[in-house]
Amino acid sequence: MYTLFSGLYRYLTQNEEYCVVILGLDDAGKTTYLEAVKAAMSKDYKRMDPSRITPTVGLNTGQVETTGIAIQFWDLGGQAELQTLWDKYYSECHGVIYVIDSHDRDRIEESKEAFDKMIRNELLQGVPLLVLANKQDLPDCMGVREVKPIFNQSAHLIGPRDCMVMPVSALTGEGIVEGLNWMIDCLKRNSEVRPPNVGDR
Amino acid sequence: MGGLFSYLKSLIGGREMRILMLGLDNAGKTTILYRLQVGEVVTTIPTIGFNVEQVTYKNLTFQVWDLGGQTSIRPYWRCYYANTDAIIYVVDSADRDRLPTSKQELVSMLNEDELKNSILVVLANKQDMEGALTVTEIHQALGLDQIKNRTFQIFKTSALKGEGLEPAMQFLSDALTKRK
Repeated sequence: MYTLFSGLYRYLTQNEEYCVVILGLDDAGKTTYLEAVKAAMSKDYKRMDPSRITPTVGLNTGQVETTGIAIQFWDLGGQAELQTLWDKYYSECHGVIYVIDSHDRDRIEESKEAFDKMIRNELLQGVPLLVLANKQDLPDCMGVREVKPIFNQSAHLIGPRDCMVMPVSALTGEGIVEGLNWMIDCLKRNSEVRPPNVGDR
Repeated sequence: MGGLFSYLKSLIGGREMRILMLGLDNAGKTTILYRLQVGEVVTTIPTIGFNVEQVTYKNLTFQVWDLGGQTSIRPYWRCYYANTDAIIYVVDSADRDRLPTSKQELVSMLNEDELKNSILVVLANKQDMEGALTVTEIHQALGLDQIKNRTFQIFKTSALKGEGLEPAMQFLSDALTKRK
């Protein structure tokens, strides 16, 4: 009887936590995106003034709770030198969000190369991947229709994992929730392959 | 009465942020402290005990505690952990041999419950010296990839030349204001 109750109690109080790593070149808008996510998911969150966000050298974290699960975000620095640190987070993450500066045509190739290098890593096999064409608020930016074919060239590397390209503006918050919902669905669907961390609430 | 005063004070300027500056001996903590406070390099001697100064950056006031870093006095760091808003961890980027020790101290410090919510800033100091490690190397040597639930930021600094401290203070003041 005790086991039954203690089991029930544990079932009710335990908390499933998924970890999502946010990657992309420097100045793609990763930190701004994380701020937008926090602002969209928690009512009284005071968003940081986007103009004050400095290049990340290190880690920004954020935790969001929704529909019975918790998501821990890791926003890493994107400068070339710092990209070597990305793989330290691969084995523990349940999902990847890759942010692209859709307005920076000059660096789209560089972004694609970093992307390829990332998805080649075996530790990320089968991990859901959300590619965000950010900065859609800027005039003359590349739309999804332009970005998608570029990254589709890596279809053979992406393989059978869940992958989606979505337009977003971290600045205005447009597309944030849609992307997040897609990611949450994938995380849950993939939870047999990559089970969430279970902790007490 | 004291409560009333502190309430009134909070209406005016908010509470003073408490920042601990830690790191091995000879990392440059005291030099950084006085760089921040008076804006110049002062001659320092190894700190036994602590130095505490009020540092004003833009319109924010920080109370910065610089604790001695020698092996024998590191155990006393924990006496200062309560109510800490942020930790500035200073590393001598040219002292490769002692980075493992520095890592150990950092790890055991971050495991403390009292510091669970404090923001971490790592200063890769002495960047003016030849053979100073890069940010990536410091990141790896300190095992910072083990930190998964805390926001942290690394800055290259040279307290001697006064470089890199400004962005670090900017980051701290932004991060701390947001949290208030």
